[in-house]
Amino acid sequence: MEDNGKNYLEERKLVKRWNGPIPAIATLLFTFVLFYITWWIFQDPRGWLRMYTPYVGYMYTRWWLIVLIWMVYLFNFWPFKREWVYKTHPVVKGVVLTAVSAVVLIVLIKGFFEGILGHLGLAYFDPTRLTRLPGVTEFFAIEYSALACLMFAAIASWLSPSWVVALEESPWKKLPQPAKGFSMWVVTFFLSTLVFFITMHPHMGILYYPWQYFTSIAPPWWENFADTVSGNFHVSWIMCCTVAVWLLETIWERFPFCMIKNAHIRRTTAFFGIIAIALAIHFFFYFVQELTFGPAIRGTRNEASPDWRWLHVGEMAIFLLVPALFLKFYAGNWPTKFSLPVNVLVRTVICIFSGIALYYVYYRFGHLFLGTQKGFSHPQQFPMIPTIWLINIWLVNHWFMDNWPGWKMVPKTADEMAAEEKAHEEQVADIKWNPTLGLGLGAGAAAGIALYFITLKLLPVLYKAIDMVPR
Amino acid sequence: MSDNKMNRKDFLKGAAIGLAGGTVAAMGLYSYSPMKKNHFPAVKRKLEDLGVCKSVKVTNISETSWFDNAVLMGDIKKAGGLLVNQYTYNWPPFGNGKGIGKGSYQEGMAKIKHLLPNRLEEAWEVIKKNCVSIDNAGGFACLIEMEAMDGKKTKYLLDTGWSFKWMDECFKREGIDKMLANNEIEALVISHEHFDHYWGLPVTLKYKPDITIYVPEGFYSEGFQFLKDCGHTGKVIVNKNGLNKIVPGFATYTFNTSIICRVFGEQSCYFNVKDKGMVSVTGCCHQGIIQFADTAFKEMKYENDKLHGIYGGLHISPFEDWDPKYDDLVISLGKYGFEKIGCNHCTGLLCARKFVEKGYPVVRGTARFRTKETTYLGNGDTITFGNV
Repeated sequence: MEDNGKNYLEERKLVKRWNGPIPAIATLLFTFVLFYITWWIFQDPRGWLRMYTPYVGYMYTRWWLIVLIWMVYLFNFWPFKREWVYKTHPVVKGVVLTAVSAVVLIVLIKGFFEGILGHLGLAYFDPTRLTRLPGVTEFFAIEYSALACLMFAAIASWLSPSWVVALEESPWKKLPQPAKGFSMWVVTFFLSTLVFFITMHPHMGILYYPWQYFTSIAPPWWENFADTVSGNFHVSWIMCCTVAVWLLETIWERFPFCMIKNAHIRRTTAFFGIIAIALAIHFFFYFVQELTFGPAIRGTRNEASPDWRWLHVGEMAIFLLVPALFLKFYAGNWPTKFSLPVNVLVRTVICIFSGIALYYVYYRFGHLFLGTQKGFSHPQQFPMIPTIWLINIWLVNHWFMDNWPGWKMVPKTADEMAAEEKAHEEQVADIKWNPTLGLGLGAGAAAGIALYFITLKLLPVLYKAIDMVPR
Repeated sequence: MSDNKMNRKDFLKGAAIGLAGGTVAAMGLYSYSPMKKNHFPAVKRKLEDLGVCKSVKVTNISETSWFDNAVLMGDIKKAGGLLVNQYTYNWPPFGNGKGIGKGSYQEGMAKIKHLLPNRLEEAWEVIKKNCVSIDNAGGFACLIEMEAMDGKKTKYLLDTGWSFKWMDECFKREGIDKMLANNEIEALVISHEHFDHYWGLPVTLKYKPDITIYVPEGFYSEGFQFLKDCGHTGKVIVNKNGLNKIVPGFATYTFNTSIICRVFGEQSCYFNVKDKGMVSVTGCCHQGIIQFADTAFKEMKYENDKLHGIYGGLHISPFEDWDPKYDDLVISLGKYGFEKIGCNHCTGLLCARKFVEKGYPVVRGTARFRTKETTYLGNGDTITFGNV
């Protein structure tokens, strides 16, 4: 049970407590109940704390996700001893680790963003400073600073896991904790800051009147390309990066980048490959909206406006992520019996259809139990709040609670770990170039392009046929 | 046999990689390219004929929906934000004495129902005891006088404000009370269910309880119940989503739009003014003024194919808040070519200043009766579109 350099998630084996689908159903029910109780306590506009103001709740939801990623992916449960992680009851572990994540979250927001950054550097992170601006009410001061924090969170939610998934913790993989965790944390935080200044700071600069020409680029540099001055253009592709990272880590098993043998090339390709895949999703989902809602009209509100549509791209992408996580956490990453590429393709198809189904359920019925309003676009509603909140609950259950109550955790033996590694290596080695594979590749590529254009034709027809928002 | 199996397996592996790669490549390279425009159907204008009118005059009865932004937003903050049901705020008139965010329509109405619509002063005294931020309530309402081509003038009220006390004062100031009592006003058009446009209903009904009322599709049950509880005895017409012709030259359009404080749907007015073009008169225009203009272009036929004027709230920075997406509007509005912009209310002073800086034809006001600045049309100001 000693820390052997491997992550806890790799060392543990989750064993079903019962046969068949009962564990998945039980755990799903448990997490849904937990979701709804916590939703009512923290977020619901009819509930207790009503943090869905919207930006305050949105910001805490996103940053909670990142704190969970830090605790597990960057710090590998440090400072908790591995023995404690192994031996403690999942419910106790869930409560303690969630409490720690909440403390980190509050220190981060109140201490770092509002206290240090807001007081000493960028006023827009600190609501008390914003209230000194003429005409800015306390409500919007809090909302604006929450917006700045959550825009930062979007970037961190992409870069933090990317360092583990794509760059494989390089070059600190062999360092012990907490040196490894802090190294990755500092670098990803630094990079997030850089990306924030380039992509989000110009948005904040024109949020205030008059435009802050001498402290930010105004109008923002992306205006003509994105057809908006809103930073939602960046929220969109960055959220797609977050989704791409987690697809790669879960249902794609780091395929296709795991086929590259040279570590440096593999890591670099994976890092930029994630961005390339994200950009493809980013542009496609925007196009999907143009084909269904109609071409965007700059300057208008709601569904027709480019700024909302870019944001909605990120929202659509998150709808894809939810089933991917379910498949990985609670369905054993089904299927596993085919070759790696076929497994990946089948899972992706499952996630696309499940994501569409979830999207339909959210817009058709979500407002009935979330305390929100019907309709695709609402100036103060963000489907990423409930979807990421659910993901957070699942992460707590899967990472901190070992899928309790449906599963129990047993440590993997050294032999089991070696066998698992070998099996994965064999699966990867099984994909070797030969003329038949090349033929398949060509045929598949042609089919993929054809599928894309068929989808373009079908989308408007399907959208008209389905009454998604209740009358 | 084994070779065949191997070949099939290899082919499938390749095909799976190719399928994913081909799709992703097409998504990335084509979706945001200039070629995407080939997939958009050409805009087919419906060119619906509204008829035509000679002129439209709008009198601003009140554009000051609330008097202190900080008080309003403080209440919204305490109640839990912009998604909270407006009937639970404990704002006038629906107060149950339990404090901010703990009200309900039923409990609030139970305290004043017996006093509506005629004993409004007494009702206001009850409201004072049970509601929060009473003195902050104002309201939005305007009088529209449309002159038909034969010279006949018809009056409509657009919205009925919020505070009973403030709206009654405003009605008396502009002579609306007498116009209602003398049956000079044809109908009350409610733009949407928001507190500042609709909750002053008893003030209109005090002078004309049987007035015809047009409401947009999307009203919640409390909104419909309010009509009954206020003692309305006239016709209620629910304008369905889309175009609703009222009389030649005048139509409303109901937009299927989600709105803050749990409100849904808004209707705005279109007037086709002879030799001038389309004039829009809006309550809050939550659908967005450009959406409104674009809808006119796609759906209706109008004089000179020109968007001539605007009056009303354009819902850009109602709380003097801002977002870069509003700059998209400020930047884009110019290309729609409006010749006369009579904005106020939820347009926000900040936005009006940006319009003026951009050189748009914003009609200035006189800053009377508690309107804060002359930047836009204020309480008691009028604007006329067309040849009078």
